[in-house]
Amino acid sequence: MSLAVAWLAPFAAAIVALSTLPPLVALYFLRLRRTRRVISSTMLWKRATQDLRANAPFQRLRFSLLLLLQLLALALVIFAIAQPQVELGGSQASRIVFLIDRSGSMNAMDAPDNQSRLDQAKRLAENRLQALHGGGLFSGPAPSVMVIAFAKDAQILCPFTDNIAQAIAAIKGIQPTDETTTLSDSFELARAFTTVTNPDKPTTIAVDAPSYELFSDGRIADLSQSVLRGGERMVFHSIGKSTTMNAGIGAIAVARNPDRPDEVQVFSRVVNWSNEPFTGDLEVVVDDRLRAVTPQPVNVPAAQEDATMHIRVPGETQVVFPSLTLPKGGVIEVRFSKHDLLVADDRAAVVAAPPSALRIALVGRGAFVMKSILEGMSLASLDLFSLAAWNEKMAANPLLPDSFDVIVLDDAMPDDLSRGRYLIFHAPPITAGISPYGTKENATPQSIREGHPLLQYVNLDDLFVSSMTAVAAGGDADVIVESGEGPMMMTLSRGALTFVYVTFDPMESDWPFQRGFVNFFANSIAWLAAGGSAVADEPLAPGDVAKARLPAGAKEVSMLIPGGTTLPIVVQDPSNISYGPLRTTGIYRLNWTAPKGQSGPASLAYAVNMNSRAEGRADTAEEVKFATERIAGIQGGASAETSAWPWLLLAAVAVLFLEWWVWLRRV
Amino acid sequence: MARLDRLDVISRKIFAGKIQGERRSRRRGQSVEFADFRNYSHGDDLRFVDWNIYARLDRLFLKLFLEEEDLSMVIAVDMSQSMDGGDPHKFDYARRLAMALGYIGLVNNNRVSLFGFGAERVERLTGLRGRRRTREMGRWLLDRTADGLGGFTDGMRTIALGGQGRGVLIVLSDFLFPDGYEKGLNYVAGRGFDVFALQLLSPEEVDPARHGIAGDLRLIDSETGKETEVTASTAVLSQYRKSLETYIAGLRDFSVRRSITHQVVETSLDMDTLLLDYLRRRGLLA
Repeated sequence: MSLAVAWLAPFAAAIVALSTLPPLVALYFLRLRRTRRVISSTMLWKRATQDLRANAPFQRLRFSLLLLLQLLALALVIFAIAQPQVELGGSQASRIVFLIDRSGSMNAMDAPDNQSRLDQAKRLAENRLQALHGGGLFSGPAPSVMVIAFAKDAQILCPFTDNIAQAIAAIKGIQPTDETTTLSDSFELARAFTTVTNPDKPTTIAVDAPSYELFSDGRIADLSQSVLRGGERMVFHSIGKSTTMNAGIGAIAVARNPDRPDEVQVFSRVVNWSNEPFTGDLEVVVDDRLRAVTPQPVNVPAAQEDATMHIRVPGETQVVFPSLTLPKGGVIEVRFSKHDLLVADDRAAVVAAPPSALRIALVGRGAFVMKSILEGMSLASLDLFSLAAWNEKMAANPLLPDSFDVIVLDDAMPDDLSRGRYLIFHAPPITAGISPYGTKENATPQSIREGHPLLQYVNLDDLFVSSMTAVAAGGDADVIVESGEGPMMMTLSRGALTFVYVTFDPMESDWPFQRGFVNFFANSIAWLAAGGSAVADEPLAPGDVAKARLPAGAKEVSMLIPGGTTLPIVVQDPSNISYGPLRTTGIYRLNWTAPKGQSGPASLAYAVNMNSRAEGRADTAEEVKFATERIAGIQGGASAETSAWPWLLLAAVAVLFLEWWVWLRRV
Repeated sequence: MARLDRLDVISRKIFAGKIQGERRSRRRGQSVEFADFRNYSHGDDLRFVDWNIYARLDRLFLKLFLEEEDLSMVIAVDMSQSMDGGDPHKFDYARRLAMALGYIGLVNNNRVSLFGFGAERVERLTGLRGRRRTREMGRWLLDRTADGLGGFTDGMRTIALGGQGRGVLIVLSDFLFPDGYEKGLNYVAGRGFDVFALQLLSPEEVDPARHGIAGDLRLIDSETGKETEVTASTAVLSQYRKSLETYIAGLRDFSVRRSITHQVVETSLDMDTLLLDYLRRRGLLA
């Protein structure tokens, strides 16, 4: 490990050195009290010193222990005035990026003075900043500082600046989140500010490699995908305690009984990151009213170390609560009866929609397969239309699409596709951004967006399409499956229009014979019915964006966030509202005033849960393991740089005592 | 004292004495040791005619005997202030040594002369002979003080020109003269003296590091009063020892070239050892 020293006040030290060292040497010669001694003859002594006389001053300096001690003491004082900061791990950079973790695990209350880890990280970062700029009037050039807060994504709170007040204000302003932890965004942002491209030579990149000061508990998900580039250095300030253990709720789900829609079943998964088994009671609260408690404490086994993968696997227990009667919608929350040091994952909620069935229209051929699937779903109504009949009704009532939750177009394209939610097969939609240009044959999926809600439980590996419409998707079209011949599936949401477009006729593929087709069909119906977002009652994760489609004419839209604060939302298009990211857990309620003459709900709830399986590990890491290197953490409140001036002053005093003692012995 | 009585001063040379003594003389005299014959001439003492030869050869021959002469023993004591120092005190040591050598000379009926040379003066006590002059010699030595400045050259010149008769010259000095010793020794070396140069050095002069010379010092020359600032570092002390060795070697070379016996005597050396061992081995005493 290399030792680096930063000087906070080198100019002051230089001034003191220049003003004291020469006088000290002069004073040494003046002050030196030689012992007078009469001897028989100095003749031989003169001869002895004759040879040394050519460089007599240096000889005196070299062999005078007293002067050496005085110079040493003075040098120590000068060094102390320079305020050296001893740093373990690297040399001082001219640019320092403060990376402050504000993820969910940083809310664990295991810091000194009953503070959260984030509070401790902010305090340490402020101290570090002040130490870097704390040289006073004569301080040397302080490094430029950037402040980045990161969790699920990274945010620059203060670009590179020499203004310490600005940087400290940015640090003070960091708000906690319950998000997961990723660091790669932070690196990209920092590097964007430290990498300069020479416009004359586009290939030449000038890099002023920064030094990173990471304030985190070290539980960062994407460390293994991150690397420190050449010249970059990192100091890891380890926040929190490695002994802090945590248990939380990893998942929650609610399902209505298909036979008795008034009843809901609540499922929950309890995650234990502790070395010891966890035992605790769980409560179910519906709309802030306690509805159920586990009849006996839930036992969760201890976490295990996976020696093969070198990861820690939490202990998990699935909890199924007895059925609850919930004739209307509501917020169902599962929580521990007692909190631990990380509160955010001790609860999880889900918004249960009221029992309602979908109204579906099937336009076009009415293929047997599609009709069968729709008939198998619990729908409020299923209306079949030919294309001509649909066009005719549309001409009479342009708002006809609003009468259905989803309209399935089976190789049919209406004349008017300006509003509504459609699941479209084969016939290309007539709208901007979708440009058909022919037909392609023998296509197979090449690129699949695995995580998209439409593709949940949908395996497309064996899909073969004999013929498909070749389209060019542009603009706001979101392609989720693509073949070598072009897009196969895409979504588009524009104003009052939302559709899922499958560019081929399922009947010209082997898809109807696969289970994935049924799942895709159901997912699409549910996704479209929920407004193009996730399934309605699916809880959000911290960092997600809440989306809603409000009725036309909705006014006074506001969001009630956890904690009771209501924030107004300026709405341009009520049919497509986004709010977020929702950084903390809890229940968010979107409220609005419905236009006159319209009935229906005027509120929409969102549950944001912290997934304990992803962010619940609360024991602080002793080191951060990047893809190529490991960096040990500086524990507790210790600083990466230690002020050395008190020790230097102490050493100077000791040297002065020694010099005094030697002088007494000689005189 | 009894051991000193058994010692005698010897000289590698046979010098002409002023009165009959206990030394062989080149001159023929009245000792019992036969030397030669010569023809009788008018006026010769008839007691020395070899009558047996006259009976056989009918010619007068005179028997010649080696005459025993006294030895002129000159002891020159350095009274410069550089001798006023050291532990044991160099001047005291010189006076004790001079006393011992003089006593040996007196006991053996040698003609002992004492010279003290210092600044601008040469003090002397000459013509001592016989044991009874011991007290006088001792008092003279006790009355001497080391408070002069140099004067070695003048002292040696005085001795050389003083008509003391040729004999043994013992110089007791540290030979640390600012104006050098060469000129002075040349005076006596050319005058037929059997010169013994006994260089008296105190222990701190030989090895200052072991005798309290340390640290930052302002050394004051007791003779000249000049000050020399010395930081007694290892290098300086080493250089001093080299200078001393060089100086002694120079004096020794100078002496050897002029048939002068040079001997360094450290004043810490026991007087008995010096007299009974060192000086006997160096041929001064027998």
